[in-house]
Amino acid sequence: MSVELVWALITGAALFGVGIYGALSQTNLVMIMMGVELILAGALINLVAFWRYLHPDAMSGQMFVLIVMTVMALEMAVGFGVAIARFRSKGSVEMEEAAELKE
Amino acid sequence: MTFIGLVILVPLLAAVAILCWRKRSRELALSATGISFLSSLGLLFGPGSELILPGLPNMPLRLVATPLTALLSTMVAVVSTLVLIYATGYMAKDKEKNRFFATLLLFIAAMQTLVLAGDWILLLSAWELIGLSSYLLIGFWYEKPGVKTAATRAFLVTRSADLGLYIAAFMLIASAGSSDIATTLNTDGSIAIVAGIFLLIAAMGKSAQTPLHDWLQGAMAGPTPVSALLHSATLVAAGAILLIRTAPMLPPETLAVIGVVGGVTALVTGLMALGESDLKRLLAASTSSQYGLMFLAVGAGVPLAALLHLIAHAAIKSSLFLGAGVFQHSRGSTALSDLAGVARDQPRIFIGFAIAALALAGIPPLSGFFSKDTIIAATMAASNAWLFAPLALAGTVLTGAYMARMLRILWQGSARKKTLVGLKQMSIGFGGLVALVIVLGVLFPSIETFIAMPLPGNRLAVVLGLVAALTGLLLGWFIPARTLMGPLLEKANQGFSLAGGFDRLCVRPVFVIAHACEKLERRLYAAVLAVGQTGINIAHMTRNSDEQGIDLFIFSIVRRTIKLGNHARTLQSGLIHRELAISVIVTAGLFIFAAIGLLMY
Repeated sequence: MSVELVWALITGAALFGVGIYGALSQTNLVMIMMGVELILAGALINLVAFWRYLHPDAMSGQMFVLIVMTVMALEMAVGFGVAIARFRSKGSVEMEEAAELKE
Repeated sequence: MTFIGLVILVPLLAAVAILCWRKRSRELALSATGISFLSSLGLLFGPGSELILPGLPNMPLRLVATPLTALLSTMVAVVSTLVLIYATGYMAKDKEKNRFFATLLLFIAAMQTLVLAGDWILLLSAWELIGLSSYLLIGFWYEKPGVKTAATRAFLVTRSADLGLYIAAFMLIASAGSSDIATTLNTDGSIAIVAGIFLLIAAMGKSAQTPLHDWLQGAMAGPTPVSALLHSATLVAAGAILLIRTAPMLPPETLAVIGVVGGVTALVTGLMALGESDLKRLLAASTSSQYGLMFLAVGAGVPLAALLHLIAHAAIKSSLFLGAGVFQHSRGSTALSDLAGVARDQPRIFIGFAIAALALAGIPPLSGFFSKDTIIAATMAASNAWLFAPLALAGTVLTGAYMARMLRILWQGSARKKTLVGLKQMSIGFGGLVALVIVLGVLFPSIETFIAMPLPGNRLAVVLGLVAALTGLLLGWFIPARTLMGPLLEKANQGFSLAGGFDRLCVRPVFVIAHACEKLERRLYAAVLAVGQTGINIAHMTRNSDEQGIDLFIFSIVRRTIKLGNHARTLQSGLIHRELAISVIVTAGLFIFAAIGLLMY
């Protein structure tokens, strides 16, 4: 038995929606980044599904997924670096309080 | 060789010792001059010697003892010793004895160096040194009014004439290639003429010859022993000594000039002496006039006659000054009006004084007779005899006249008895010099053979000289100066100043030049200042254009940029989720817009 393409797309879209909600509703930097991760995870599921069902013989789809995962890891490293620096200097990572740069 | 060193060094060391020790200055000074005197006798009777000292490269300093220099050195030593003995009495009450004796010893050492110097460089140094020490001695009583001016005047006049010696010495050294005086005396041609004239200028300054005679009378402001030593026998003699020593080199043209200068001086200063109203100033004028006669003798080509008169005059004039010093102490003044009759206070001193005065006038058998006789004979034998001989005779008449007038004024009057401090020492020094005045004449023939220079003899000269001297004496004794000189008296008292004298001829023009220079200087200053001001103005303008133009433009750009940045900044909220929400909504809107577009398509 095989899962239809449409189910994979629905799963991806669900993850994307949960991610958008998380990123917009949270004020904690770590939680926002979790949301962003979920958005990217939804996009990855879409990529894999399209490769698996439409062009299973082409390698470029897989490579694209690997590159996106690498970029995700880097993005996380940078994001957590910022969060740690913020925490060390101010004692919190609440984004409502981190608007001083504007001044 | 050691004698030369002793003659110079002993007085010098004694001067230093007096300045350091500040005690027993009289004894030190007397013993130093005594040793110096004995050493100079050693030079005189010993063999001729030469002392070569290290000096400039290829120009060693030389001290030579030839018969001439040894004789002059002995003369300086004798006179200075006797004057010092006198000075120990004269300065008995003075508080500054140490300074006096130290300076006097320095002067004696310098004079001995000058006399014995064998090369131009040493001669120049000694010449400068006697100038300096004479300045110090003339200004010894610097608290008295006018003394400082007199000292400065004497120093400046002799000093400016000294330039002649520098020029002459350097010309001779350059042309002969050696600083040795004996070598340079072989110079001839035009260099000898010009150098001779410059030597004459230097000698005129030191020997107070017309027109530079004025300082010597002012120099009488110093203590009387100073006048006796410096202004009769040594300092003033330096000029004549210079000419006597360089006489072999001088060409006839220069000799003629020297003779004319000497003759004019003998007349001018003789007339001044005749009209003088101060004893020391009279003696000073007479010194100038006697040195004029010596210059005349050099000019006539017989330096030995000048030398004999120099020696005789040294003894005569020193004793005259020493006698004048006793009179001065006796009456507390040197004005002739105050001294009338002083001869009766001090009859013994006056006898010596009169002997010296008669000797100067040229009365036999005193020394002055012989020396003056040789001078007259020399002028009669000279090629310019028509000019020189009358000048010499006129000088002799004048000498007799002013000496007789002086004796008459001192004799006529009433006595005022007063006991004097230090009269004993003064009498010893004075007596020694008067004895020299009497006996020196006998020594002249032996000096003549000692020096080995030609001396013309002339019976007619003896007679003429004697007649001239007697005429002068009689004129001076019986006829008052006022009737004798008539309208000349006024001018003589003003020092025969020509066209207003130095004041009008030198001082005023110098002031005018100085004022002009000052004006020019001020103008230059203003011009420089204006240039500077213009520069500053240009700089100001540049700065303004910078500030108002370029800077303003750049700053306005900067300001606008900052304003723009501020505007742009307000667009940002700084709240991440709000920005995220905006971007999500916009993206969603775009997608919806695209979907509608696709559907419609």
